[in-house]
Amino acid sequence: MKEQERAETENDQAMKLAPDEDLMLEVRNGAGETLGVLFDRYHAPLYNFYAKLTGDRTLSQDLVQEVFLRILKYRQSYQPGTPFRAWIYQIARNARVDHYRKTPRHITFEPEMVAPVMPKDSAQQTEETELLHRALMQMPEEKREILVLSRFQELRYDEIARLLGCELGTVKTRIHRAIQELRQNFKQLERGLAPREAGPAVVKNIPPRRFGNEV
Amino acid sequence: MKCEEIGELLPDYLQGCLKAEQDDLVEKHIAECGDCREEVAIWKKLSLLPMEQPSAGSRERFEAMLRAYQTGRSDKASAGFERPKRAAVWSWLRSPVGAVAWSAALLIVGVFAGNYFGNKTTHTNQDEIRTMHTELTNMKQMVVLSMLQQQSASERLQAVSYSRREDQLDPQVMSALVHTLRYDGSVDVRLAALDALSRHGAQPQVHEGVVDALQEQQSPLVQVALIDLMVEWRDPDAAQRLRNFVQTPNLNPTVKQRADWALSRLN
Repeated sequence: MKEQERAETENDQAMKLAPDEDLMLEVRNGAGETLGVLFDRYHAPLYNFYAKLTGDRTLSQDLVQEVFLRILKYRQSYQPGTPFRAWIYQIARNARVDHYRKTPRHITFEPEMVAPVMPKDSAQQTEETELLHRALMQMPEEKREILVLSRFQELRYDEIARLLGCELGTVKTRIHRAIQELRQNFKQLERGLAPREAGPAVVKNIPPRRFGNEV
Repeated sequence: MKCEEIGELLPDYLQGCLKAEQDDLVEKHIAECGDCREEVAIWKKLSLLPMEQPSAGSRERFEAMLRAYQTGRSDKASAGFERPKRAAVWSWLRSPVGAVAWSAALLIVGVFAGNYFGNKTTHTNQDEIRTMHTELTNMKQMVVLSMLQQQSASERLQAVSYSRREDQLDPQVMSALVHTLRYDGSVDVRLAALDALSRHGAQPQVHEGVVDALQEQQSPLVQVALIDLMVEWRDPDAAQRLRNFVQTPNLNPTVKQRADWALSRLN
């Protein structure tokens, strides 16, 4: 009995260390339970990706679930040997686009979003964080996405380029432009000015869905 | 070094993947340039935004989804996967492409049935086939015409690309394409229409439509494409029109440059 238990924990250990790609292969071959390990690895990053992008917590939770449901449904379309991270983010982007296609969004800015987990260091820092969050949310979603992907999801530029279907150089240019815009927004907020096109800019920018790579 | 050049290096600098010498360049620049320094600062500041933890129920929800999916799948496995397939075929039949294929199939069945049962009639086979062919072409063109009226730009784009499959265009389709080229709301659709029309330059109707369109276009992309086509066609009055066009106030500099180039080619 003890032997068996030890074997099981060893197996668990091995699974926890296995690369994403190996685990996904198991899922692809029919072992749905293995998806749990991938869920543990990815659900928090994906949740943060959606939360920063949409500013809507409930929606973000729903979308994360949708991503894992899609992984199950379309597991056969995972190409062995290709990076899992790129694949899951591709699914995540499509899930979001499809969601907005079905239900046109209402205004997404949710100011209380930052509040509960605010760092308590100093009043000044709290205020800065608040402004920064607002400056980020004022950006068009397309620009915000590229910042979120590189800064918070820590995707490499070449991964982002593949994900968005553009050149590496284009990614860098777009990141630079996004930083410039963020800085402008932030400065204007600091001065107590509302930047142009606040609000509605968030509403319009659904990136075009890419055919071909659909998952 | 200018900010623009630094801007190109900045994204790599922020990820820490520049070579040492370039890294030094950037650091030297940001020590002197306030704007670039602020850009670096705001990037670093983003780390203030907290990573959030998803709610605790999330894992349970996932487990429930997984169980439901697995039970659902074993149920479905016994019931077979017929349903989604059938739905796909049905929606294809209802799409314009499906409608054409569908009508063509009916037509063929009809002609063969007619041939088979009405062998005594005086019509030869060849006549029948010719009639059938004309009817099929008419039908395709009708589809193109109706699709050009669609709300969605991608469907109009599809319509334009269907029209390209025909060697001979019906005058009605032709004028619909010219109308699209002039008035369609989407630049992509207008460009595609121009592309489709470019193969029918020999038709005076098309020719006129395209040359007239230049004056009305707002989009520089379409303007440049129109100018190129006019050069290609070597139209006798193209030069005169371009000369008028260049006078337009507030002309986009790139377009103007292209028009000047075209004029030099035409003279």
